[in-house]
Amino acid sequence: MIWKTAWKNVWRNRVRSLVIIASVTIGIFAGVFSIAFMNGMIAQRIDAAINEEISHIQITGKEYSLNNDPGIIITHHDSVISGIPKLPGIAGTVERTIISGMAGTATKNAGVQIIGINPEMEKNIFTLDKTIMAGTGDYFEKESKFDLALIGQDLAKELNIIRYTIDSTVLENLKIKKIPVNTLEKLNPIAGIRFTNEKKFKKSINSLLSKQESKKYGYQIKNVAWSFREGSKMTLTFLDKDNNQVGVVFRLAGIYDIKNTIYEQSMVFVKDTDLKRLTGMDKDSFHQMIVRINDINQTEEITKALKDKLPEYEIVSWKELQPDLAMMTDYVHQMYAFFMAIILAALAFGIINTMLMVVLERTKELGMLTAIGMNKKKVFSMIMLESVFLSVTGGVTGMIVGWLTVLLTARNGINFAQYAEGMEAFGYSAHVFPEISASFFIMITLMIILTGVVSSIYPAIKALKLDPAEAIRTD
Amino acid sequence: MKVLELKEVNKIYDGSEVHVHAVSDVTLDFHEAEFAAIVGPSGSGKTTLLNLIGGLDMPTSGEIIIDGTNLSKLKSSQLIDFRMRNIGFVFQAYNLIPVLTAKENVEFIMSLQKWSRKERDERTFELLKAVGLFERMNSRPSKMSGGQQQRVAVARALASRPKFVLADEPTANLDSKSATTLLEIMEKLNHEEKITFIFSTHDARVVKMAHRVITLEDGKVVSDDKRE
Repeated sequence: MIWKTAWKNVWRNRVRSLVIIASVTIGIFAGVFSIAFMNGMIAQRIDAAINEEISHIQITGKEYSLNNDPGIIITHHDSVISGIPKLPGIAGTVERTIISGMAGTATKNAGVQIIGINPEMEKNIFTLDKTIMAGTGDYFEKESKFDLALIGQDLAKELNIIRYTIDSTVLENLKIKKIPVNTLEKLNPIAGIRFTNEKKFKKSINSLLSKQESKKYGYQIKNVAWSFREGSKMTLTFLDKDNNQVGVVFRLAGIYDIKNTIYEQSMVFVKDTDLKRLTGMDKDSFHQMIVRINDINQTEEITKALKDKLPEYEIVSWKELQPDLAMMTDYVHQMYAFFMAIILAALAFGIINTMLMVVLERTKELGMLTAIGMNKKKVFSMIMLESVFLSVTGGVTGMIVGWLTVLLTARNGINFAQYAEGMEAFGYSAHVFPEISASFFIMITLMIILTGVVSSIYPAIKALKLDPAEAIRTD
Repeated sequence: MKVLELKEVNKIYDGSEVHVHAVSDVTLDFHEAEFAAIVGPSGSGKTTLLNLIGGLDMPTSGEIIIDGTNLSKLKSSQLIDFRMRNIGFVFQAYNLIPVLTAKENVEFIMSLQKWSRKERDERTFELLKAVGLFERMNSRPSKMSGGQQQRVAVARALASRPKFVLADEPTANLDSKSATTLLEIMEKLNHEEKITFIFSTHDARVVKMAHRVITLEDGKVVSDDKRE
């Protein structure tokens, strides 16, 4: 009966209750959606880091990480190393040869890491093959008499391999992307001009468009206007195993785009066989073994097992390689709980205020209830239930609205194209797919109930202090 | 059988500016199935005396014993429980729970005492029939007249079969017809349920129907007329 009475009491002043329920709904919706957005960003970043950049565990020779000494190698002759793929929990392994060097074109140079890979084997571990930009080539699929290299989009820009031109095809494509015609008309003065670097192109665009147009459409124009000459060349310079400088012309196999500026600027992939031939390294030796495991949650366990098994090697997990991501993974729930706690604390003041009004308005009734024998525990429970019903009604509505919004936005993602450069500089994709787990909703539900309980304590204490004889006489 | 005993009860309100002797040396006994009215002018101490009898207030001195239990000896939580089980209340302003229906108002006290659904329904239907509101059991107080609300309040007061019912000016807010109907119902229930009714009143009709009339003046009992 107390539950029923409390629920009916919530609707006694419909407008007031709806106002507080609406505020809880908005607060919870905002919290759910913000967290789903952050969660999506973090999940995508971790996913990209694992699948495109570092995988789960990396094994190198002892002290290799100190200065990336190419002389510190691993070989297949070590039976423990060759037995790693068969260990429990391991999904697969791949070997890499890594040399520091310079990449250069006629106009620009950049320091890079040249990574020798077996493209077919790499497909089992990484998804880099799926990130090749359309029209730039492929993932070492075509046979070539030349040495081939795969470079990142940002390195291609850096080396002036990507060019920018506004021509009729580009303008048509921009129209399809719903960029206003009057904005596109402003680009006519640079039509047909070939810009060899991104900075110059951006400067020209900015000089022709208003600040607002540049901010809104600049990134899209740049993304459509770029072009790439197939078979472009670059020179890779590095030291061979005898420390002799070697300079070799590579043709570009393709350009990859993984939304991580630093990685794209510094990692050049070549075929392992080519790199070994050019450096004179033994075909059974390599610098790094990449280990992919079946379950990311077993990272620490498997890393420890490998460390115990291979004490003479350096074994690092993705958590050690990317401590920022590790921290996010380990503490993400605490972060979300803290974020929600701040929102709920603000909402709690509204609920407390409402419940204080309730107690004040119902002084006579509360006095009557105490007089006829409703004990303090039950009076407290009734006030508490009313407060919990208010918060839970708003909270559940907020969660449903938040969840539906997440479902809707997760289908196509939310594209923050205008902030892409900044976000990609930190390795985050500007196209975010919000996501949220069921466990998060359980956590929020508990927090909402707790908020309702805590918010009721002060008003309920006020109700308990009422003197029934005096309260009944209240008008 | 004696259900209520007041022995030299005094109630003094001693504030910093006022000193009021609201109830003075009252000694009374009430027996099972009595239908007693406490009358007197405004400020004579009727409501204070009812509050003391109902355990809503504590006497400054003296003893109030209900069915062998001295109210002064009970802790606050015990007193609330004692009231629930032994005393029914009818208030001048009805004081029904506005969000509950007539039926729910009547069964509220029984649910606090954890009666089963079946027992609650039987008792509620019995009482609503007795007060003539069985057909209105699903109406909320706002949809009922004052007289009907007070009849629901009487049914609620009797719901858990208390030792006695205290009614503070039960007819004060009612028109003549409603007041008469209410009094007839109260008298019938007093007779049928053998429950003692004690009410404070100014209403001559109530006084006329009472089997016993206790007159208070300045907190003192000046007369106690028992009628056959």
